[in-house]
Amino acid sequence: MTTPPPVLTYAFAVCRPYDGPAPTGLTGLDPGSPVRTLPTGPLTAIVQDVPAADHTEEALRRRLSDRTELERCARAHHEVITAVSSLTATVPLPLATLYRGDERVREALCAKEASFLTALDRLAGRTEWGVKVYAPTGPPAVRETPAVDSGRAYLDRVRNRHQGREQRQNAALQAAERVDAVVRGLAVATRRLRPHGPEATGPQRTHILNAAYLLDTTRTRELRAALTSLRRDEPAIQIELSGPWAPYSFTDTGAAP
Amino acid sequence: MTDRPDHDLLCTPPPTTGPPTSDLAEILERVLDKGIVIAGDIKIDLLDIELLTIRLRLFVASVDTARKAGIDWWETDPALSSRARRDALAEENERLRERLDAFESGELTAAAPAGGDGA
Repeated sequence: MTTPPPVLTYAFAVCRPYDGPAPTGLTGLDPGSPVRTLPTGPLTAIVQDVPAADHTEEALRRRLSDRTELERCARAHHEVITAVSSLTATVPLPLATLYRGDERVREALCAKEASFLTALDRLAGRTEWGVKVYAPTGPPAVRETPAVDSGRAYLDRVRNRHQGREQRQNAALQAAERVDAVVRGLAVATRRLRPHGPEATGPQRTHILNAAYLLDTTRTRELRAALTSLRRDEPAIQIELSGPWAPYSFTDTGAAP
Repeated sequence: MTDRPDHDLLCTPPPTTGPPTSDLAEILERVLDKGIVIAGDIKIDLLDIELLTIRLRLFVASVDTARKAGIDWWETDPALSSRARRDALAEENERLRERLDAFESGELTAAAPAGGDGA
């Protein structure tokens, strides 16, 4: 006779109790136990039992510092949150929010009940969209001047090249601000995220705007139309739209401290 | 109902589609430090992990954070920085001065013995 290995309760998200089926087909963090709902008064946590041994502080630090394992965990976490948020207004919790059992989850939700309810009200009927703007990096084909070249002409050429590059970058940054202004006009909230580095963007372009916007779902069509216009009007930059996302970037603003 | 957000790449003409890591970067920036902070029972500093393992590679930190962390992407990418531009010009000038010095200190005569006296 063996005792079952100890488990922790992993909390993915918080929502209100909702009618309809619980999300199915989700693996979550551990294929050995189901992703389930944990009703607590006016709130419901989306949780899963996970092996305690894999989720000690030390084990988490080791696993999440491994690129492959970090990606697996992040995608599993994201998949559950996306599934729930397609059903009902959802407050996503950060990766690796862990409790020593269901009772501790209930206590945590009770302690923050008012904040969660306020956030859920604000997020209802809204989704997050990401807008990323890139400026092409490499210089556009420079017309080479003939080899006969005085020192002064050489210096002029170098200076012109640098000035041209800087002007293009300034123009791209201003174009990005115009994009932000247009999308901001459609949104109820905005957050700037960090631009991505070359490993994520590739070498041919520089990430100059990374922003998240919270929009009423009724404005999705307007958003897409605005992006189409912006792409036409701003040929110097590349504009990418991603979404709809669960409202990851908008769960803390306005919450009671 | 979607499993993951769709990427609307219409009209954006990058030569190749972005590397798969860009999608990961988008997820990570959302799941790592977002949400109402409710204290879990297991204390794990996600910012630590982020700094150590991914921010340095996947993300450009905020400009201030980047400077503190010694990342000078913003300042040395000549595409974005006027300071980098000045540095590049200064380097260029330095090299030109060295070449001029070399010319004036005799190499010029060696290279061009038949040069006439001006005026």
